[in-house]
Amino acid sequence: MTWIDFPLYSSITVILWIFGLLFLVISYKKTAVLKLANVLFVLGWTVLILFVVKLWIELNRPPMRTLGETRLWYATFLPLIGFATYIRWKYKWFLAYSIGMAGMFLAINYLNPETYSKTLMPALQSPWFIPHVLVYLFSYAVLAASSIVAIKGWYDNFKGNFKLETLKLADNLVYIGFAFLTLGLLFGALWAKEAWGHYWTWDPKEVWAFLTWMGYLIYIHYRHFHMNNTKQALSILALAFVVLLVCWFGVNYLPVANTSVHTYTTY
Amino acid sequence: MGENHLNVQRNLWENPWGYVESFFIGFGLIVTGFFLEVFVTSDNALTLTYPYNVFFLVGYVSLLFVLFKWFSTSQLVRWLTKVPASISSIVLVTMLVMVMGIIPQVSSENNIINNLGLNHITSNWAFLLILFQFLTCLGLISIKRILQFKWSNFGFILNHVGLFLALIAGVLGTGDLQRLSINVYEGKPSWIATDAQKNEIELPFAFYLNDFLIDEYNPKLALVDNNTGSIVHNDGKNLYLVEKGETYYFNNFEVKINEFLSTSGRIGNRYEPVNEIGSPPSAFISVKNTETDSIQSGWISSGSFRYPYESFKISEDYSMVMTIPEVEKFSSDIDILTKGGERISTILEVNKPFEHKGWKIYQLSYDDKKGKWSELSVLELVKDPWLPLIYIGIFMMIAGAFYMFWMGNKITKNQ
Repeated sequence: MTWIDFPLYSSITVILWIFGLLFLVISYKKTAVLKLANVLFVLGWTVLILFVVKLWIELNRPPMRTLGETRLWYATFLPLIGFATYIRWKYKWFLAYSIGMAGMFLAINYLNPETYSKTLMPALQSPWFIPHVLVYLFSYAVLAASSIVAIKGWYDNFKGNFKLETLKLADNLVYIGFAFLTLGLLFGALWAKEAWGHYWTWDPKEVWAFLTWMGYLIYIHYRHFHMNNTKQALSILALAFVVLLVCWFGVNYLPVANTSVHTYTTY
Repeated sequence: MGENHLNVQRNLWENPWGYVESFFIGFGLIVTGFFLEVFVTSDNALTLTYPYNVFFLVGYVSLLFVLFKWFSTSQLVRWLTKVPASISSIVLVTMLVMVMGIIPQVSSENNIINNLGLNHITSNWAFLLILFQFLTCLGLISIKRILQFKWSNFGFILNHVGLFLALIAGVLGTGDLQRLSINVYEGKPSWIATDAQKNEIELPFAFYLNDFLIDEYNPKLALVDNNTGSIVHNDGKNLYLVEKGETYYFNNFEVKINEFLSTSGRIGNRYEPVNEIGSPPSAFISVKNTETDSIQSGWISSGSFRYPYESFKISEDYSMVMTIPEVEKFSSDIDILTKGGERISTILEVNKPFEHKGWKIYQLSYDDKKGKWSELSVLELVKDPWLPLIYIGIFMMIAGAFYMFWMGNKITKNQ
């Protein structure tokens, strides 16, 4: 069992998930179908796990040294986080979102077979790598969703039929996303202590990750105390997401970029 | 809740202080800080060392308790425990950190940056003063919630006290943090380390490097432009690993790797397996131009610190080259020799530090010119006595994050 079998296993998984997603869409009309969707998701996930386990046995080491291998883990864990969130919060679309992201990582691996054997530098070879990146991925996805909700809020406001429920949904997404953002930041600190000797070095990426965290912190505190100032809250949410985007993509273009240790291109 | 949308006209500095007053005070602190930067020139604004930082911590926390317990009706304490003070200090800390995120924190030739100390924000008076206000707000509201003794405050306390501990221990711990590096050569004990200011420091134990080891990945194959010398394929990313028997495609060239030698030497017009210091990897490749169907073959080598590299010209415009192999893993097989005559053996590796007598010992680097033939291993020693307090803070916040995930905005709904 090696990467040669990946196309077979990943296509079975993706096909099962696509059918699952279809049933999930139908379940908005016919609730009973949701069970079927869940069964398909779990089946697809089992096939994926089977592949990971066999690959692990074959390689004789945990498969987390190359970019392709780390993407495999994202694809494995994203549905789990999605399910945990679904069980707790019952957002069906959220489950679809995480399954979709997982499918995307399988597709990236499928489309870039040459990167399977890509090298990974020593500092990244750590059990912290996957949890650190994974919680950030998930957090960014949830916070992006909260921004979409905010845009809807703005649009409704413009149209004059703003509903407070919209902002409450945004709030809940921010709380979930912020929890994962905190975990990502702290996992990063714990890892940095093991890899670089200090948990916090104000590296540009760290600075912007901290700023993102502070941005959502402002939103949470503002919402907590000023329930009715919806426009201001929406503006803060938009600004916080801009900071998040700077942290994700923009840092490389700032004058501080060349002093960063986070300059590996990873997903 | 929502006290500020009672649109009642009120005067500045009238009770209770709101956002205008809060930002006024915050900006005041920042301006004061910048004045101190300009007129009181010292490199280290605030680095307390043991035992003074412990005195400060105990004094500060006691002061917060006293303020909360007996002065909670005073204007200042009432303001500090209210939302405008918290939000304004979060915003202002964010703004100063943003300066750090934009202006490189290295020595600068710009006068404004230099005078205001914008290139050393973490030790800048303005930042420290506003952080002090931030911590004071955080500390006071933490005490307020702790003293309420309610289970519903559980998550709140985890998050707020966790952040307070991690931040204050981080700030006060800087003075006691020791980071040293030491050069260790194969076959010779070393015990003189140097700190960031290049001062020599004698360690109470010595290191003996038995062996320094590097595992390398195979080198990679790249297509370069003969005129510019730069890699023209795939933006220089995701290059192919050189492995025997593989065939790769670059534009209209089909490149087959017939032979790969991980350590080799040029003998006549070909490479042979050689295992000496500095023997570079090499490969024998054949290149087929799919437009003309012509095939040519030749040797390429990445070279090393002792031998030059060798490229293979495949057309007027292009050549094939082999990149220097990337490091997969590097490690030091060391013995720690104590004054008591003890000998502790361990293997240091990136991401796998070793703990000895309060020091954490890290594999830092090596002689990168020599690469896998390096006889030098650079180790880093870190002592941070405040670490347990920081970890308590961090783990409280991790627990708080799980709580937050579970509760969502029910936290606000219950209020």
